[in-house]
Amino acid sequence: MCDLMPASGALPGVGDCDIDAFLTKLRAETTALTWVGLCLAALLWLVTPVVTLGVPLPALLLGANARDRHILALTSTRIYLLRQAVFLLKMYASMCWGQHPSVRSHFNLAAYPVDPGTFRTT
Amino acid sequence: MKPNSHTAFQPRGSEVIVEADYVVVGSGAGGAAAAVTLARGGATVIVVEAGPWRDPHDYAHSTYGALRDMMDDWGATITRGPALWPVVQARVVGGTTVINSAICVRTPSDIFDEWQRNFGIGDGGGGQFAERLWRWQDQLETELCVAETGPEAMGRSNELALKGDAAAGYDGHVIRRYAKGCIGSGQCLQGCTEMKKQSTNLNYIPETLRRGGGILSCAAAERILFEGARAIGVTGHFNHPQTRARGAAFTARARRGVFVAASATWSPVLLRKSGLTHKAVGANFRAHPGTGVFGLYDEPVDMNRGVTQGWASTRFRKDGGLKLETLSIPMEMAISRLAGGGRVLMERIQQYRHIAMWVHALRARTAGRVDVSFTGRPVVRYGLDVEDMRRFRDGMLRVAQLHFAAGAREVVTGIHGLPYSLRPDQLDVIANAPLDPRSYVAILSHLFGGCVMGKDASVSVCDAEGRVHGRTGLYIADASMLPDNIGVNPQHTIMAMAMEVATGALK
Repeated sequence: MCDLMPASGALPGVGDCDIDAFLTKLRAETTALTWVGLCLAALLWLVTPVVTLGVPLPALLLGANARDRHILALTSTRIYLLRQAVFLLKMYASMCWGQHPSVRSHFNLAAYPVDPGTFRTT
Repeated sequence: MKPNSHTAFQPRGSEVIVEADYVVVGSGAGGAAAAVTLARGGATVIVVEAGPWRDPHDYAHSTYGALRDMMDDWGATITRGPALWPVVQARVVGGTTVINSAICVRTPSDIFDEWQRNFGIGDGGGGQFAERLWRWQDQLETELCVAETGPEAMGRSNELALKGDAAAGYDGHVIRRYAKGCIGSGQCLQGCTEMKKQSTNLNYIPETLRRGGGILSCAAAERILFEGARAIGVTGHFNHPQTRARGAAFTARARRGVFVAASATWSPVLLRKSGLTHKAVGANFRAHPGTGVFGLYDEPVDMNRGVTQGWASTRFRKDGGLKLETLSIPMEMAISRLAGGGRVLMERIQQYRHIAMWVHALRARTAGRVDVSFTGRPVVRYGLDVEDMRRFRDGMLRVAQLHFAAGAREVVTGIHGLPYSLRPDQLDVIANAPLDPRSYVAILSHLFGGCVMGKDASVSVCDAEGRVHGRTGLYIADASMLPDNIGVNPQHTIMAMAMEVATGALK
């Protein structure tokens, strides 16, 4: 996710937007299927530099520029399921990043109040 | 069950047993309209809703919160077919009326002609059946305060659409919505915390309770109970909306009848799980698949300011099956639709304030099917054929043309394999875009069918009065009974049909 949305100019990256807390909360709250899908997508990102760059190394061992080229190639790959897997990662990265107060302020949007998560119990 | 009572999640323990004249499964457009009609007719009603009851002060603000708190399965229901397209549905008291844009469109006259010609339903656009539904729609418009969005709430994206429409001649209009006094907070998709949108959790469900009814929320109906061919109630379990823990069992007994209004995906599932294995159950599932085209403007648009959907055109509905609309989605969702990743994506995001998103919804001819998964959830089998894909692509072209007519510098289509953005002189690139559904990021909104009405019991589930063929006391009263998609926003049609079915049951 951090490779998908790195810091750029005045914009923070997703890594600057409490991503760890977001993922901890997501894991606790979301469905097993969504979480498994995200883990699989992350795994695909990890093992596919050989497909996108022809480099037989896991993505974690690539340099910053190569990782950037790798993630860009993944988002436009001809392999539909791979593209969809990265789309899932991007969707949740966007949620983490886009709801962060610093990002919303950058785009002239009011900060989100806390989602109450409440419902009628009686 | 006491009058005016609400029973939310109950932990495991003794079974909750309630009884009323009618049990209505589902509290969205169809279920709520049926329930209030039955209650106004003097019957006692118990509404059984799988989702929790959230009031406006409970609504989420962020997209994450909306997925978690409002959507069925975190919005993760996707079509099984050539492409994986999300199926948008809420799971909350009020159903999808809580998270839609409250768009009110009367059932077009030609739909009644088609229903008569193709399914033996009613007597055409000039007949009594149509007249009755339109009278229900008159009543709905009064009760739910239908109004055009005022200019003060439109926002720049909708203003630009009006400008483009004037230049391109799309015969568009300001949308009429169940949201009188809308202030344009742009939060339709997360639920209107301003209480302007008249979702059914704010009106028809409370009225049903005031008239002596009750509601079980967080209560997923799993099976319809029968005594011979007669439906006598439903049974299921409570599910906690946060922990998803399975709670107590419940049984809602119906003295006079059971209404199924659980949605176009869940109603056929409930019928199948209840032993109705006729091939028509789950068949003829239809939708309005749609997608958006971003326009990039020199001026800031700030599309999240102003009403979520304020402009529409149905000019291409009859010939091309297209409805064009503005749609402002939250920033988090918009960004995930921008192509690319890494530094390239971040550069594109810089333009966010200059983006207006407008969409098309296609009256697709393709029919799909709803089956039951091994976990008991709906499996939506659906994929557009080549002819529908041509019209789908044409819809994107028309939206792009509208953007340019409004002064957009470039458009962003999100079609895989095409350049990221296109200038006005590159429209032929869209016209020649691939027809593979996997090249498009689309969603299925406006779901229809699965328990369709019809005269012929061999190919339909119920008749025009919602009565399930071969059963007594069992009615369908939601979008699943509509035999075809209608090419306009369906809430008004669903509610009118549900009121018609409920009135018939009371006779």
